[in-house]
Amino acid sequence: MLKMTHLSKVYRTEVVETYALRDFNIDVKEGEFVAVTGPSGSGKTTFLTIAGLLETFTGGHYHLDGIEVSQLNDNARSKIRNEKIGFIFQAFNLIPDLNVYDNVEVPLRYRGMKAAERKQRIMDALERVGLASRAKHYPAELSGGQQQRVAIARALAGSPRLLLADEPTGNLDTQMARGVMELLEEIHREGATIVMVTHDPELAARAQRNVHIIDGQVVDLSEEPRFHAHNARVADA
Amino acid sequence: MQIKPILAALKRHKAGTVLIALQIALTLAIVCNALIIIRQRTEHLSRPTGMIETDLLTVANRWVGVDEKATPSLGKTDLEALRGMPGVVDATYANSYPLRGGGWSTSVNITPEKKKEMAHTTLYFSDDHALATMGLKLVGGRNFRPDEIDWVDPKAFDTTPVVIVSKALADKLYPDGSALGKVLYHSGATKPSTIIGIVERLQVPWTGTWAGNFAENAILIPRLLTGNFGSYLVRTQPGQLERLTKAAPALLFKTNRMRVIPDERGVRTFAQVREQAYKSDRGMAVLMGVVCAVLLAITAAGIVGLTSFWVGQRRKQIGVRRALGATRHDILSYFLTENLLIGAGGVIVGAVLAIGMNLWLVSHFEMERLSLLYVAAGVVALLLLGQGAVLAPAMKASRVPPVEATRSV
Repeated sequence: MLKMTHLSKVYRTEVVETYALRDFNIDVKEGEFVAVTGPSGSGKTTFLTIAGLLETFTGGHYHLDGIEVSQLNDNARSKIRNEKIGFIFQAFNLIPDLNVYDNVEVPLRYRGMKAAERKQRIMDALERVGLASRAKHYPAELSGGQQQRVAIARALAGSPRLLLADEPTGNLDTQMARGVMELLEEIHREGATIVMVTHDPELAARAQRNVHIIDGQVVDLSEEPRFHAHNARVADA
Repeated sequence: MQIKPILAALKRHKAGTVLIALQIALTLAIVCNALIIIRQRTEHLSRPTGMIETDLLTVANRWVGVDEKATPSLGKTDLEALRGMPGVVDATYANSYPLRGGGWSTSVNITPEKKKEMAHTTLYFSDDHALATMGLKLVGGRNFRPDEIDWVDPKAFDTTPVVIVSKALADKLYPDGSALGKVLYHSGATKPSTIIGIVERLQVPWTGTWAGNFAENAILIPRLLTGNFGSYLVRTQPGQLERLTKAAPALLFKTNRMRVIPDERGVRTFAQVREQAYKSDRGMAVLMGVVCAVLLAITAAGIVGLTSFWVGQRRKQIGVRRALGATRHDILSYFLTENLLIGAGGVIVGAVLAIGMNLWLVSHFEMERLSLLYVAAGVVALLLLGQGAVLAPAMKASRVPPVEATRSV
């Protein structure tokens, strides 16, 4: 599903070159739930932004769902982000001017989906996260946990091949964090491939596999997955 | 299309949205009405007098210390001297001429008993040289004969057996086109004047809106007015105008020194007459043009400012949209559509305001009715201006990278 080989990301200024990722290798199989951990500044978020095609990389190879992405232009990258990847951000990143329904609808509109299908998917996704009754609410009217659930619904609505979560519980209290984590586990059990960046070792331990990053390199990989992944898309579940 | 979510988002930014829409509305209302004023004024500026205006010189003459009864013989001497000058084609004497700013106006009718006037007209008192000197085009009938010309005291003037009229007046009096040979009654006279000639066009001396409804109604009377005031019109050969501007008044002083030719507006080419007559119209047109340009610039700047502010404010949101699959084109079209929706709201209100403002101006200032074409053109122009103004900030927004979604504010 996600394979990076000898990948590097260099930030250059006039006087200094900084390697955010160096000779980075990772292979995430379809249906895996991988937790990516590491200290601050280790390159976790850089990995996630490159994995999510939010940023380009400097060298190496990256295959996403069998596609070598380094040669893709901006439009093609947008299309892949829209169709194959679902994002869950630490700060939820809901659009404050739009209500819950319209927020979940955003990626579906960019896909050019018809209104009836959009509506069906949005309501299914909101039902899935238990927020169908809040469809007309604005993000500011929801708790942090509910906002993150909306963000998850937004990520799920497009039936992505890969869910990328950046500290999904980082802004939540323990109880809400537990709820969100349980939701992610449930989504994974239904067949989704999830890559989650986290600081929290307790959360990381609940993932199927842990990847540790230090100084832009993968230093520790769990050898064996704790359970087998399902070869199915999230929406197929 | 993203219209529904854009409208939903705009509802949550009411202040900026309403202010820009109002600015667009006011600009449309003012620009539409200003354009009407500009058109009216430029129509004025380009209205033909009916004369051949090139190579035409005017000299204002005032006799001083001269018995009024002597003015006919003095006038004849002047005219003979002017007509004898090298470079002069012809010359005439008249109480007034088109665009002069002052003259006679009166009512005219086709029957003596009819109380209600059929038309208003100006009277030009001149001689058989008037047509040639002024360069008027006779489209029917004949010119005055020398034996029909006489001098008359303006206080004793009643009427003349024959007159020449402008076509506009002829058509007004006799709409079936049969004016030639028919009669008219002017200035309340009981004796008729027979129309012996019709000139294609002859404008009145005034350019103000009050004379707008009889701007081309003129009667040429075959009489020269005695008295101290009058104007000589001199048609020159091509290339002689500048020389005669100095030579003609010099000759008149040489003929008789008992006169004043004012320094200001005393000797003028007809180009100068036209320029001075329409100075206020030109000034008003320029002023309205500047007002339009400034308003449009302010509106464009307002749109640029607000959109730039919104782009800055929504940088993260744009990044999120990009992360969720929006292409650069999607972001560009989002801001263009948003601006179009605000603009559409503005122009709808503006069109109503423009028409309302025009109705008020029509009722209070004799302004022309606003054509819906002007409103439509204004609507299109303002929407295009809005789209043009929003383009740069929208393009800047489209360049926000998707990774912006992961950055903390």
